[in-house]
Amino acid sequence: MVEIRKIFILFVRGFKQSTRPYPALLPEFLMPFFFFIINSAAFQRVVDLPGFSHSTYLQFYAPVALLTAIFVSSGSTGLELVTDISTGYMDRLFLAPVNRWYIVFAKLAAVGVKSASLVAFMMILFTFFGASFQGGIFGILLVFIFAFIFAMGWAGIGLSLAFITKNPRVVQSSFIFFFPFSFITTSQLPLNLLQGWYKIAVQINPVTYVLEGIRSVLIKGQIGGTVFLGLIVAIVFAFVTLSIATWAFKRSVLH
Amino acid sequence: MEDNQIINVKNLTKIYPSKTEAVSDISFSVKKGEFFGFLGPNGAGKTTTMRILATLLFPTSGEVSVNGFELGKRDDQIRCSIGFALQGITLDLTASAWENLILIGVLYEMTRVEAKKRAEELLTLFGLDKVADSWVKNYSGGMRKRLDLAIALMHEPAILFLDEPTEGLDPVARRKVWNYLKELNQNGTTIFLTTHYMQEADFLCERISIIDQGKIMVTDSPANLKKKIGGDLDDVFIHYTGHDIQEEQLDLKAPDPYVRQ
Repeated sequence: MVEIRKIFILFVRGFKQSTRPYPALLPEFLMPFFFFIINSAAFQRVVDLPGFSHSTYLQFYAPVALLTAIFVSSGSTGLELVTDISTGYMDRLFLAPVNRWYIVFAKLAAVGVKSASLVAFMMILFTFFGASFQGGIFGILLVFIFAFIFAMGWAGIGLSLAFITKNPRVVQSSFIFFFPFSFITTSQLPLNLLQGWYKIAVQINPVTYVLEGIRSVLIKGQIGGTVFLGLIVAIVFAFVTLSIATWAFKRSVLH
Repeated sequence: MEDNQIINVKNLTKIYPSKTEAVSDISFSVKKGEFFGFLGPNGAGKTTTMRILATLLFPTSGEVSVNGFELGKRDDQIRCSIGFALQGITLDLTASAWENLILIGVLYEMTRVEAKKRAEELLTLFGLDKVADSWVKNYSGGMRKRLDLAIALMHEPAILFLDEPTEGLDPVARRKVWNYLKELNQNGTTIFLTTHYMQEADFLCERISIIDQGKIMVTDSPANLKKKIGGDLDDVFIHYTGHDIQEEQLDLKAPDPYVRQ
């Protein structure tokens, strides 16, 4: 019970840290919203392309905006951690009789919950602009699970860099990974309309499968192979990045 | 080990991965209830020693026991025994004083009610009760320092480590902290202090060790050391860590790639 209380208070602290100061949340909300509005307006006529199976581009693009929300809401985790290390606050936590892994895992759980919350908020918002989501309660729950797992996986990259470099500038620059991971996917067009090296790159990118999983459950209302493949890829992605973060944590902090 | 020794350090050495030997085969002990000063110039090995005693760093070799618990074997018990006001400010700046204290209380296995009660006591004691709900980033340097000290005392530790606790405080605030630490010590808390202020060490400490280049140069009471050297504690400090000695040591070590910068 005592251990659960410790984890819970670290989780609450991690959640508060990633939502403060409140104005810093604005870009996390605005960026996916901006992408959603701009792209769904700019590419309306794409639906006329032969082989494009979605009724509106807005509907096709909504999952991309949700994925962007996960990216941006979990992307600052490394920076928050490096702040804790550089200010000595991490030492303050390490001085307490608490398993040091709790500190990291409570933070990751907080990031997952924050991303899932933002996704829920964006889904409500998008419905006002004409998006409709299928899959029922179970489908929506699945999307939250996607958000929770993928947010932790994405945060793993920032955490690894934070533990290895302890340098805020390096950690901040990891945002650059957002572009290939996010854009070289089926975010703009479905796979059947892509060609050449770009199509191969899209198929190599693990985020493609996560996006297709979300799209399948949320837009098509199908809970099948695509969804499960997406979930497995999200879990493997999180496992890989968090394994690296764990290694870096052991190497740099537990001297 | 004598019964009344609360900290016991034997042949402690710390070599960092960069090959820098920060602490070199030092031995000393601190008695229960003692106000002990650990003095030395920048880079002498004070903070490294304290961080090892507080379980924040692993030693390269040597034996350490704190409050009867062996370092490396019963680290959680050591952590429960000690409070540490670290060098600098180690606070969550986007949380309130209240939140900072409650978090630490719960991590030290207090119930929420106990943590709340203790936090209230400490906030009042350190004059932070009126700003308890404001974010720490809005506090002055002195207020942050006081909160840092309050956090170190949250779980009423048997031993308090203080790394430059009054650095950056104005003379009035510094004097207040001194009086509080004296009182705390008189109530039975063992205090292990590092400071650059010789006046502070002279006023507070029953015994001091002077460390330089990772080695302990001398350990005695301030009164005995002053008598021996024939001056104040500044003179004692210069005598044992003086510029000439340092230069000589650096010259001797110059060809050594592990030389301390």
